[in-house]
Amino acid sequence: MAKIELCNITKRFGSLTALENINIEVKDKEFFVLFGPAGAGKTTILKIIAGIEFPEVGEVKINDKNVNYVEPAKRNVSMVFENYALYPHLSIYDNIASPMRSPLYKKDEEIIKKEVERVSSMLKIDHLLDRLPSQVSNGQRQRTALGRCLVREPNVFLMDEPIAHLDAKLRHFMRAELKEMQSSFDTTTIYVTHDYMEALSLGDRIAIINEGKILQIGTGDEVYLTPANEFVAKFIGEPEINIFDIELVKQGGELYALMLGQESGYKIENDVAKVIEAGGHENLRVGLRGNDLMFSFKQEDASYIEGKVYSVEPIGNKTILVVDVNGQLLRLVAPNDLKANLDAQIFVKIKMERAMFFNADDHNFIYRHNQDELLGVK
Amino acid sequence: MAKLQLKNLYKRYDNKKGKKGSDLNPYAVNNLNLECEDGEFIGILGPSGCGKTTTLRMIAGLEDITDGEIIIGDTVVNKIQPQDRGIGLAFEDYALYPPLTVYENIAFNMRARKVKDDVIKEEIDRIAPLLKIDDLLQMKPGKLSGGQKQRVNMARAIVRKPKLLLLDEPMSHLDGKMRQVLRTEIKRLHNEIQCTTIIVTHDQMEAMSLVDKIAIMKDGELQQYGTPFEVYDNPVNEFVAGFIGEPPMNIMTVEVQKREDGFLFKLQDADILIPAPERYAPVLSDGMMVRLGVRPSDVMIGGASSKGSDVKISVFENLGDEKKISFRVGDGFLTLITTDEKRYQQGDVVKLEVKSEKTHLFDVNTGEKINHNF
Repeated sequence: MAKIELCNITKRFGSLTALENINIEVKDKEFFVLFGPAGAGKTTILKIIAGIEFPEVGEVKINDKNVNYVEPAKRNVSMVFENYALYPHLSIYDNIASPMRSPLYKKDEEIIKKEVERVSSMLKIDHLLDRLPSQVSNGQRQRTALGRCLVREPNVFLMDEPIAHLDAKLRHFMRAELKEMQSSFDTTTIYVTHDYMEALSLGDRIAIINEGKILQIGTGDEVYLTPANEFVAKFIGEPEINIFDIELVKQGGELYALMLGQESGYKIENDVAKVIEAGGHENLRVGLRGNDLMFSFKQEDASYIEGKVYSVEPIGNKTILVVDVNGQLLRLVAPNDLKANLDAQIFVKIKMERAMFFNADDHNFIYRHNQDELLGVK
Repeated sequence: MAKLQLKNLYKRYDNKKGKKGSDLNPYAVNNLNLECEDGEFIGILGPSGCGKTTTLRMIAGLEDITDGEIIIGDTVVNKIQPQDRGIGLAFEDYALYPPLTVYENIAFNMRARKVKDDVIKEEIDRIAPLLKIDDLLQMKPGKLSGGQKQRVNMARAIVRKPKLLLLDEPMSHLDGKMRQVLRTEIKRLHNEIQCTTIIVTHDQMEAMSLVDKIAIMKDGELQQYGTPFEVYDNPVNEFVAGFIGEPPMNIMTVEVQKREDGFLFKLQDADILIPAPERYAPVLSDGMMVRLGVRPSDVMIGGASSKGSDVKISVFENLGDEKKISFRVGDGFLTLITTDEKRYQQGDVVKLEVKSEKTHLFDVNTGEKINHNF
């Protein structure tokens, strides 16, 4: 049980700055996700917390105590690796018991037995204790690896992409397994991943990291519904969010958005218009996810914009429909029985109330309609 | 451009080194029959070791054929050398020549065949815009991203005007985003050049999204051949059902129970009852065990008046626009996917409903689909 803090951490490898002024405060018992593309610096952060890497600048604190000069072994952190790293020649029992037999944390065999039993029944592997890792399933192996960490009652679990190497199907299953066990951990956890579904599903809060910098820290809803900038918006969700320029027009005291080469605009919701005008924003872009666009093969009304079917990609329970509107490709989510010929005429309508607004100059998020209600802010 | 036929195709590797279980199943490809119409886009899909790449290599002529025939157009090509089969090949590895520009990489084959410079230029000018590499022609491969390299690689395969274009896992090196973009571009490209194309992949989503028809293979044998919608909507066995679709189909062992108003399925590992649609009645009997399959998108949470079974939510995942909800059933989960905005907590008790019309029945022993349409 512990609170973990990183204060102004900067880490360089030679001339390369791997991490730049990182500030994170992970609350006690929180499940905190570090999310970003390969090379973003996620694993380096884990290593700094574990004490395997040393930051040039900044402080690592565990329960308000600076641990910069504490040896890795004495920080009482516990790491779960991608490949589980179980001892193949030891039984599940002995694998789980192994940390309690290490010189530093040595315990009596009686205590070990009690602990292994406690942890293994919690993880539902108590019937497998005599088996070798090769004789149990993938999911059970992962539980064993977790069990080995749990017996130590560490300050914090550090998990580095523990399910990234599995195929997509198994990942769905293992993610659910992890999530189900989460409530029984009762331990602060920091989890690294590059898979946005893992981040959204597991994280109490998520830090989005790119090129050694934190772009946003927030709950799943916050990063999905109100991404701090265009990068975050593009990095979360599939199909990739549609982002394009709009032009503001004022008509009869109300603000309209001209887009996609159209002559008439979409009305901007009043609360959004207020924020735009108060901020003096002129160059704007909107972000719309695949579900925030509607389509029809006839022009239902004037708000439908004509385009051409660029591509139709069925992916099981839905179809990704790509529409070309005056050279701008838009990705829409459509039902899986959609039939459409390439280059056929199609009409698209934008759900303006779902649009996210970005500043076209610095690409930062400005506002979206009913933002506070969406995030449950009272 | 041509029609492709595979007739009773076999491949057996004589040195069985490292081939696990090769005594039981000695054939890497076992009696494969496949027809691909002129201009069609076909996907060969399956887990690693299913024989899909071996099949592709036999079509290309890079691998001897143990038995059977490969026919391109009207010609049996079994004995024809790879370079004379009229095939364009793009592998997972781009294998571009690093010292040459993109232009020269694409021109390489034509130069080898002594094609005139102005013809080469004309061809490359035609192909480059299709693959959106017209701005890259003077660059060296080292400066390109993975996605761009694969485009150049494909340009090199297409520029020969092949009768048949073969793509071997062209996107498996690329990250998710790049894959999404290239997927769309390959789809467009096929529409432009209308060349008979075969793609080999282990990624079911990639296959589904691109092709006209999918051949699903396992252990060297063809399991099913049909349109993406057919294999998704009407899988012939449990393997295909589980392989196609993400998150995967829920497949559970159930006991058939006869009630006054029809049959019910009772889950073996949980207290969940699912009414059986009437059309299944002819093949069901009281006490029979079957495997029941249902896609996560065909499972729902019922309202207050629902007659569904009470179940406790084991896992609730908010994935943005979609929510995934899992219920513990034995060692596994019964999973549903919904776009409903409602939030749940672990431990909430809800009514579980299954679109019983959308269920699939499989034989408990063989895994084959139980046919109920007489």
